[in-house]
Amino acid sequence: MKCLVIIPAYNEEENIVRVIENLKNNYPMYDYVVINDGSGDDTAGICRRNGYELIDLAVNLGLSGAFQTGLKYAYRKGYDYAIQFDADGQHRPEYIAPMLDKIQEGYDIVIGSRFVTKKKPESLRMLGSNLISLATRMTTGRKVKDPTSGMRMFNKKMIGEFALNLNYGPEPDTISYLLKQGATIAEVQVEMDERIAGESYLNLSRSVMYMMRMLLSILFIQNFRKRREVKVK
Amino acid sequence: MTPIFRAILIVVSLFTTYYILKRIRQSKLQIEYAIFWILFSGVLIVFSLFPWLVSLFTRMIGMQLPVNFIFLLFIFVLMIKLFFMTIELSTLENKVKDLTQELALEEKARAEEQKHSLTKEVQTADENHIPDQP
Repeated sequence: MKCLVIIPAYNEEENIVRVIENLKNNYPMYDYVVINDGSGDDTAGICRRNGYELIDLAVNLGLSGAFQTGLKYAYRKGYDYAIQFDADGQHRPEYIAPMLDKIQEGYDIVIGSRFVTKKKPESLRMLGSNLISLATRMTTGRKVKDPTSGMRMFNKKMIGEFALNLNYGPEPDTISYLLKQGATIAEVQVEMDERIAGESYLNLSRSVMYMMRMLLSILFIQNFRKRREVKVK
Repeated sequence: MTPIFRAILIVVSLFTTYYILKRIRQSKLQIEYAIFWILFSGVLIVFSLFPWLVSLFTRMIGMQLPVNFIFLLFIFVLMIKLFFMTIELSTLENKVKDLTQELALEEKARAEEQKHSLTKEVQTADENHIPDQP
């Protein structure tokens, strides 16, 4: 049983050492790989000097392109499970183990969710999360409590499907689409930290655009897609 | 707006939506790029179904004919789209250039490394060379 921790990093020179050292020293049982997404800062240089496992993208692809690179790597290397893990220290590696336990029960995707046993706080950001949950429920009939969580684990079949297909970004609309197509998805309660350094990508106008895209995608576009499954040996 | 014109707008919008969805179904179009066309088609369908909306906007900006407002809307939206596409195209071209150069430089570095290690091997082989027995 092999599990790969995929860490997409874009301009994370302030965070990457802390995150990787923690993972390397305290959780040496997991393989990891940093995907430097064409950062303008010294993220790649730091990784090289410290001897971290690194895939260095020459140009910036955005989160979904960077994460897919990691999945292609996992696919080629024959990993059984892969997990998407933030480079800014928001995700805690101690929750990888319970997620692995869960996915070994036979799920396709396990989401590290902040709101399985805990209540969602009421804020503007959570309003967005609720809207996406509602849209997912309307089209699939299934409840995803934390659709925007970036901590997701995939099994071998999903690794192949995500690695080789178009329109498989690590976003809530892909989750909704796969649910509709019969994939099995579970959520495991995790805690997340606030980011310590660096800036969040989301500002208000970007968030509004993101929400519009997600809702239109989940409520309308995903209904017309045809699934292309990948055979796993 | 005449009923015929409204009907044409609806048909064209539906056809656009159908074609976009077909491309997505065939995995030949990214969803990000489909959003614009689907929203645009949606707006046109709404305007065709509720022409009083168009009349309202026409009066608001002091135009004579509702159909002129539709034309203005088309031109505006397409201009903005074209503007952003130009920026995207430029970024894209720049990325392709960077990528190509990166690949070529990487290849060259590898070739030089190989040559270097090859000459080293030859040198050590020469030093360890034992002359044949006479």
